[in-house]
Amino acid sequence: MKQAARALGWATSILWIILLFFTITVVYSAFQIRPSFKTEPSVSILDDTLIVSLPFILYNGGFYDISKFNITTMIREDAGLTIARSSTLVPTIPKGADTSITHNMSLGIGQLATDDLSYLLFNDSELHVAAVLRLTYANAFPFEIGLNSSMPWGAPLSNLTIGDISGSSFAPLSFENHSYFEMSGTVRLEIVNNGGHVVGEGTTAFYAPPESRFEKDIAVTLSGSPRNVAEVRVHFQTAFFNYGPVVIPVAWE
Amino acid sequence: MRKMVPRIAKAVIKGLLYFVLLYVVPMFLVSQASAFAPRLFSDYAQVVTLFAAVIIFFAVASELTSGTIFQHALNIGKALILIIFFVVALDGGIVRLDLNIQEGFPISIIADLRVYLMMLIAIDLMGLAKSVLQAINFLSETVEKQVPQPLPTD
Repeated sequence: MKQAARALGWATSILWIILLFFTITVVYSAFQIRPSFKTEPSVSILDDTLIVSLPFILYNGGFYDISKFNITTMIREDAGLTIARSSTLVPTIPKGADTSITHNMSLGIGQLATDDLSYLLFNDSELHVAAVLRLTYANAFPFEIGLNSSMPWGAPLSNLTIGDISGSSFAPLSFENHSYFEMSGTVRLEIVNNGGHVVGEGTTAFYAPPESRFEKDIAVTLSGSPRNVAEVRVHFQTAFFNYGPVVIPVAWE
Repeated sequence: MRKMVPRIAKAVIKGLLYFVLLYVVPMFLVSQASAFAPRLFSDYAQVVTLFAAVIIFFAVASELTSGTIFQHALNIGKALILIIFFVVALDGGIVRLDLNIQEGFPISIIADLRVYLMMLIAIDLMGLAKSVLQAINFLSETVEKQVPQPLPTD
């Protein structure tokens, strides 16, 4: 029995030393992981998708490999609806090496034209960005790091207004592009009278760079008196989305 | 009293050694690891202190009661208390830290340390088994000493 107890004692001591050594090296190594952001994030547009690229280099200066490195970003609007979800997976980041990683966040601008999100076309808002980083360190410790932030959203068709159409041949249209992307395409107006019939139409091309105001008197053909006009329906056709009608009531004093 | 002096000296040396190894060294390593580390581990400073206190208490008490059954009882108690301590300190293996480094930029860190907790408990159980065997051995040796030795026959 004495020998068994002694053997267990030795085994316990050796295992404690190994575990202590492992713990110290893991904690030390974890603090030797250094991300560096040498390249600026870039924004590009591909078809109707806005892509924000976040390139960075991860230096794993520790004694252990990082595996299953996964970044997931989610962009949600105020009501909690997910607008975009992007994920980047790096299977292994070896010890003592620099690994270049680019995380692309894709935002389909076209989906903003859907009913649930169309308010984002006309109203500035705040978007909630949640980033989750998952990794397994030293093949033994799964970690999850969550970051929450928010970013301002600029509406591409903010303050959309139709001016005085009593002149009968022109409809002044204006809006402000508060977004990060260029807005270009065509806008079509339908002028509807009190009886609900389309009594006039007009189409024009438009171009509004970011942070600019678009103003144009759109030539319209109107049959009947402008006094009978009840509303103007605006249809947008852009590279990113087709949206309409936006109904703007015409008030007569 | 003459017997107690070396025991007390041994207990003090052992206590100091454990204090340096389990408290001073980890705290120094955390402060040196990075500027961010002390803030990250601030919640765990109390846990490390408590761990060091438990180990030092049992090491000193065990040394002072060496050669008695109390030494083995204390070792068994230490092993059991450490198992409970590890489970509580590591929140059952899933550790969560919420940091607010910048205003409006909260970070939450979740570490799955269940494998590590299993390692700690496994080693501690080995220590418990050793202490139980030592206690049984001590008791059997004590009984053997009390039984009259058979006289040699021709």
